[in-house]
Amino acid sequence: MNRAIKSKEAFKTALAMTITYGIALGMGWDKPFWAGFAVAFCSLATFGQSFNKAVLRMAGTLAGTVAALILIALFAQQRWLFILFLSAQVGLCTYIMGGSKYSYFWNVCGLVCVIICMGAGPDSAKAFQLAILRAQETGLGILVYSLVALLIWPTSSRAQFDAVVQKLASTQHQLYRACFELMKGQGDGERLQALKLQEIQERARFDQLLDAAQIDTYEVWEARRQWRRYQGLISELTGTMERWRGSCSELQSLDLEALFPNLASYDVEMDLRYIQSRQMLARQAPDQRPTEIVPVLDEAKLRDLTHFQKATLAVIRSRLQRIEALTRSVFDSICDIGGFGKAAGEVADIPQHGIFVLDPDRATGVIRVVMIMWLAWFALVYIGQLPGGNTVLTMAAVLGMIMGGTPQLSVSLFFFPVAISTFFASILYIFVLPKLSMFLELGLLLFTVTFVICYLFASPKLVLVRLWGLGMFLTITSISNQQSYNFLVAANTALMFPVVFAIVAIAACIPFSPRPERSFMRLLRRFFRSGEAWMAGMHRNPQRRVRRRDRWAMAYHNREVSTLPRKLGAWAKFIDTKALPGTSSQQVQQLVARLQAITYHLQDLSVSGARPQTTLLVEDLSDDVRSWHLMVQKGFKRLSQDPAAGEKNKFQTGLSGVMAHLEAHLKLALDKPDKKRFSVRDCDNFYSLLGAYRGVCEALVDYAASAGAIDWTPWREERF
Amino acid sequence: MKPIPHEFAIGGVFMPPLLIATVFGAIAAVATARLLNRVRLSKYFFYPPLVFLALTVVYTILIGTFAIGM
Repeated sequence: MNRAIKSKEAFKTALAMTITYGIALGMGWDKPFWAGFAVAFCSLATFGQSFNKAVLRMAGTLAGTVAALILIALFAQQRWLFILFLSAQVGLCTYIMGGSKYSYFWNVCGLVCVIICMGAGPDSAKAFQLAILRAQETGLGILVYSLVALLIWPTSSRAQFDAVVQKLASTQHQLYRACFELMKGQGDGERLQALKLQEIQERARFDQLLDAAQIDTYEVWEARRQWRRYQGLISELTGTMERWRGSCSELQSLDLEALFPNLASYDVEMDLRYIQSRQMLARQAPDQRPTEIVPVLDEAKLRDLTHFQKATLAVIRSRLQRIEALTRSVFDSICDIGGFGKAAGEVADIPQHGIFVLDPDRATGVIRVVMIMWLAWFALVYIGQLPGGNTVLTMAAVLGMIMGGTPQLSVSLFFFPVAISTFFASILYIFVLPKLSMFLELGLLLFTVTFVICYLFASPKLVLVRLWGLGMFLTITSISNQQSYNFLVAANTALMFPVVFAIVAIAACIPFSPRPERSFMRLLRRFFRSGEAWMAGMHRNPQRRVRRRDRWAMAYHNREVSTLPRKLGAWAKFIDTKALPGTSSQQVQQLVARLQAITYHLQDLSVSGARPQTTLLVEDLSDDVRSWHLMVQKGFKRLSQDPAAGEKNKFQTGLSGVMAHLEAHLKLALDKPDKKRFSVRDCDNFYSLLGAYRGVCEALVDYAASAGAIDWTPWREERF
Repeated sequence: MKPIPHEFAIGGVFMPPLLIATVFGAIAAVATARLLNRVRLSKYFFYPPLVFLALTVVYTILIGTFAIGM
């Protein structure tokens, strides 16, 4: 971020803070720092982003105040029931926060409820006043900041949004090219990995800026449905590309250009679509519309191949078809957005989410935040003169919710921002504030401190420090019309945080160790357990009735296998490989990529398994397929007991044996004189299934190879 | 001879000896934990978080008794 932008943003926040305090003090409102909090927390890079956050904060505040008033009305005289339901409410907010698009709303809803409940105690009249005060102060802060951001150097998200859209389209084109080269055996794996990471980051930025641009840019608001459809399509396209990349390793030495005669035309058409899409995103009309192209396999050349090679080619063809359909839909979508014509073709199907299943990681976050609240409550009830009083519980809940949402963060990460900001705020409170006599002087101090904090910690990486700095400054100074100065305010706040950190540190160890490498191993075990259950579910006795519990279990394992690679990727960034000799961060990243490949192949297997298979083939090969299936299931079970089992050769030998056996039986079954009994569709479906089985096996062998390269002994050792 | 228990005056603010001993005890425990991690001796502990707590208590008592006086 350059200095001019940093200065402008810091100036806007500082000015809004000063005006907010001026109005709140002028109106004689108590606790004006609540309005200051709204300014500090809603100041973001663009007006759209700030406004989005402000709306969520306001809505969350209102919902939180209602929840707090209900709790006080029902349980004001029963303290145990009161904390039970209060912790349940915060737990519920923490759970929903982890999976909601409106996570900030749920975060604020939980926190405001605790703040009002703990601030008012059993006094319902005070609770109502506090609730109203909180709502009006938050509203004031949001209103003032919004007006300042709108009138002084307004920053629209449009320019950033356009830049990100262009960049994302270009990266996706490069990703396509890199995957295509890889398929032809000429690719560079490292470059592809780098492009993939870049694409993920750009897509996250695109998602963020789309929300903001929808608010502050009329053109984006007008085409919001088309943009959302585009968002869904590019996400699906990335997943399909990833699956395609995973299948490329199985092609080995096949001559693709001979097997797919129209592969070159396919490549040219795809390239053209990407170029035209980028042109439309730059607001230039397309030169031509996309032409549907179906990759065709040369039947004569196919005859010389083994059945497994045919199966691999069937999988590749289905991937290419899917990419073709998706890029056509993306093209139509951009056409619609740019006003170059309505979406002509059918939009490719985007998979929908299934039934509700409990997320164990979010549930763990709930257990932690509830435990933190109860520990703080016990400390409050049973320890007399606890520094900070009720605020201990409020601050513990704040930290608990942050850690519930982002369990990778260590408690120690908060220590220095809190300690340093408490120290500086205390200095200002003790030595500077008593010298001020008028609002002019106070306003100047507020402006200067806010400007300095916002300017010094403007980088997005330092957002935590900026928020803690502003928060501690506003809390400790406790500016009000009847200002009083007491050393104990600063001393008690300083002493309160060790108590809060101790509570949070205890809860962080329960129910699982907070160490990233331990969490990584635990998630790996869960991944393979769910993989095993998935395989077992696929080979269920068809005569057995499917109960609701079975459906739920299937949905649970499905979700686990789909989401765990992403969660493992998040944990992988926090693993300190310096403390784990024999492991590099690249190895950990590679392990995560292997898991993602297993997920994709399992999903393919599920789709292929659901297609109708000819009974004649099923009868001929059922024993072989079953023994193969059981072998894969056994592999998952072995890895669920020890995810570090890097027995690549053992896996490979076992699978090769079964594959050779199956290939021989398959040849017998398909080369029978009455071969005509199989239709093209039967063969396609069967080869897809075979390809999916093979994909899962290859992915497991690849995982075992990656796991074998890591020295797992330090991972299992205890550490502080 | 053990020091005489007394409060600490920092800028005219009196701090209880237990507070000072706890602060130094916690700092010493952090230092010890880091050292044990570095030389890979922490692998011999069954549950390091409890060991850390025990170290803090031990150091606080030792510092409080022999260095500060409580």
